[in-house]
Amino acid sequence: MTDAPEMDVQPARKGFWRNLSPVWLVPILAVAVSVWIGWRSYVERGALIEIAFPSAAGVVPGETTVRLREVQVGHVESVVFSPDLTQVVVSARIDRAVADLLPPDAEFWVVRPEVSARGITGLTTVLSGVYIETAFIPQRDQTVERGLRSFTGRESAPLITPGREGTRISLRARDGNRLTPGAPVLHRGIEVGHIESPSLAEGAEGVVFDAFINAPHDQRITTATRFWDTSGFSVSLGTGGVRLGVGNLASILTGGIAFAEVQSGGAPLTQNTVFELYPDETSARRSSTLSDPGEALRIAAEFDDSVQGLTVGAEVRYRGVRVGEVAGIAARLVDMGPAPRVRMQALLSLEPRAFGLGAETGPEELESFIASQVAAGLRARMAPTGLFSTTLVIELVELPDSAPASLLRPEDSAAVIPSAPADLQDLTTSAQGLIERLGNLPIEDVLEQAIGVMAAVEALLADPGTRAAPGAAVALIDEARTLIGSPALQALPADVQGTVTELRTILAEFADARAAERLVATLESAQQVADGLAEATGEVPALITELRTLVARAAALEAEALIAAATRLIESADAFVSDEGTQALPPALASALGEVEAVLHDLRTGGVVESVNQTLASASSAAEAVALATQELPALAQRLDRLVAQAEGLVAAYGPRSPINDEALATLRDARATARAFAQLARAIERNPNSLLFGR
Amino acid sequence: MAHTRTTQPVLTAHAAGLRGCRTCGRANAASATTCRRCGAGLSHVPGLQLVWAWLIAGMVVYVPANVYPMLRTQTMGRTQDNTILGGVFDLVQSGYWLVAFIVFFASIAIPVAKFVVIAYLALAVQWRWPMRGHARHRLYEVVEFIGRWSMIDVFVVAILSALVQFNLAATVAPGIAAVSFALSVAFTMLAAQAFDPRLIWRAAESPMQ
Repeated sequence: MTDAPEMDVQPARKGFWRNLSPVWLVPILAVAVSVWIGWRSYVERGALIEIAFPSAAGVVPGETTVRLREVQVGHVESVVFSPDLTQVVVSARIDRAVADLLPPDAEFWVVRPEVSARGITGLTTVLSGVYIETAFIPQRDQTVERGLRSFTGRESAPLITPGREGTRISLRARDGNRLTPGAPVLHRGIEVGHIESPSLAEGAEGVVFDAFINAPHDQRITTATRFWDTSGFSVSLGTGGVRLGVGNLASILTGGIAFAEVQSGGAPLTQNTVFELYPDETSARRSSTLSDPGEALRIAAEFDDSVQGLTVGAEVRYRGVRVGEVAGIAARLVDMGPAPRVRMQALLSLEPRAFGLGAETGPEELESFIASQVAAGLRARMAPTGLFSTTLVIELVELPDSAPASLLRPEDSAAVIPSAPADLQDLTTSAQGLIERLGNLPIEDVLEQAIGVMAAVEALLADPGTRAAPGAAVALIDEARTLIGSPALQALPADVQGTVTELRTILAEFADARAAERLVATLESAQQVADGLAEATGEVPALITELRTLVARAAALEAEALIAAATRLIESADAFVSDEGTQALPPALASALGEVEAVLHDLRTGGVVESVNQTLASASSAAEAVALATQELPALAQRLDRLVAQAEGLVAAYGPRSPINDEALATLRDARATARAFAQLARAIERNPNSLLFGR
Repeated sequence: MAHTRTTQPVLTAHAAGLRGCRTCGRANAASATTCRRCGAGLSHVPGLQLVWAWLIAGMVVYVPANVYPMLRTQTMGRTQDNTILGGVFDLVQSGYWLVAFIVFFASIAIPVAKFVVIAYLALAVQWRWPMRGHARHRLYEVVEFIGRWSMIDVFVVAILSALVQFNLAATVAPGIAAVSFALSVAFTMLAAQAFDPRLIWRAAESPMQ
């Protein structure tokens, strides 16, 4: 052992800090870290809030989480009852960042597994247990309360979570039968929103419910949009056959509504616009007016007749346009006295806009408008929708001739518009009367009479006397033939010859008598007359008047009566000729003509022609005399020219458009018309001379 | 004095002015800094400040180890946080008395006992409380031996976290407390290590100095 120390060596005393081991850093660090962790967790533990739920099924303290958009933002710390035991108060710690933005109306609800017609939701909670979901619109500028904040929880998930973009509208329907909350709102078959729970409308029939249209689609909705119910399926039978409308499966199960813009020019929506829900697409498209449930005017119409065929929902028409519908039908006792009388009352719901009263008008304006119209004769009456239809609508008709009436305005009920007797009554009764009359017609008697007449005619025709009539005619013709064949008639050519001879002598005398000279003299005197006439023109109007009366009388001659009589004659002749026996006449006539021919032959052979030739020769000599006379024609022509000139002067004196001229022209026209009438008659006879005889 | 009767007065290296090597046992001169035989560093008998430092650190981190969840269990979407004590209660409620006892013993009883024992030993050395050196030494040896078994909890958490990863069905993740507890065990072990048992005897030798 070398240099063993002999003494216990005390280490030099160092200063307290110099002696300190660096290991002391470890507990200091540990304390620091622990304190920091503790402080941080205290700071970050979140705000405590209270949520009151009607029930808290499945909520477990410490386990149930609070989620925002399916991300955990807190957890439940305790579940206690409210002091009055009516609610469950769930205390939850929410992350600071979220809690600072919680508005007072934040929604909380418990997410549970749910099976509905629209699908299964909340399936994950089957395994993980329920959780509390929250939704709200973050409020950034609110003053954060530091204390305990209370919220009210919902029993079920809200159909429309707050903060969702879209438009909320209100719909009015007759009933909520086929609509369940959450039913889809469809547009061309695409779900664009859904509806909320229907609730009874205040102060009016029907139900009101809200619908929410999601953001991009809500711009499709304007005031011109119409909504209709697509629940289930609809079958309609019309002239176009059977129509079967089936919505999508979800809407069959839960009900649903669809919408479309039925007319252009809709105004953009404001929040909470109220729409009418139509029962089907057809009626939705038919409607052209936007009805506002609060704006419809309730008015009653009372009828004494039966209202069979009138249904609730039937149209009310004004000048053919739908202005409302029948909202209800009821009987009402009037005259509470000893003889009570029941009137049928139809409650009408009229839309002010359908009357064109402007967008701002309400029921009061419409009522006063109708009151003024009633004073002018507006009445309500029932009318059929078609000729054979038994369905009725109510027409507002203007009957200015009806008895004066006014709009009754009872204190406690709707105003009563006076009614007019229904049109259908007339139609029905007259149709009925017609049918009755048809039924009462003595058709059998008529037939019997006709048969009797026919029998009589047959008997008449079968009568021997009738049969003898043609025979008599034949005998008549036979007599005529014998007459023609008689010697006296055979002697006729000789008489004719004599007559011609006399004619010849007359012509010869005419040639001798210098008729031309006389004609000239006559013309001269005519000229003198014309001169006198020119002088006496003052009297011409009177003369013309007389002429006109004359012509008028001529025109008034009963030519037409004559013609009618002739026609009747012809018809009778025709009837006669149509007779069987008359058919025997033509052969008799032919033989008679044969006789006439024989007579003519006799005439030719009897020297008549020669006599005629002689007569013609005399005529030619007379013509020669005329030719002589015509040599003086130039002078005559000159005189005529003068006469014409004078006449022209005369005419010119009165002018082309003078009254006299007009009157003369009228006179001439009348005369011409008269002449034409005669000419037509003559021509008709000329064209078919035997029409007088035979009528054909 | 009671303990002087049981402890024979013996000449120690310390009393002889020598310094024993803790590695090979050779007695070196008090002034030597390295062992002349094995070359290991010869520390002079350390004071108690290291013990106290590690002990305090271990106690500090033991607080979050109990307050924060040790295990985060997720089964079927349901998340459950378990602190050590909460887990013990859960096990007791479920009827697993033995497991509950083991967990309680390893995670609570042993660490707490370690704090108490090390603190007692250190205080006893510092203020030279009269005690039999043998009993103290045995206490020290028990604490040093049993200290590592506290890590059984950490091992369980580590193994569970590694094994039970079945997504939705069951997932186990370590919580903050697992780290804290591991640190606490490590710190107390270091504290036990830092305690030089020779101090026990030195104190026993000169109780009245």
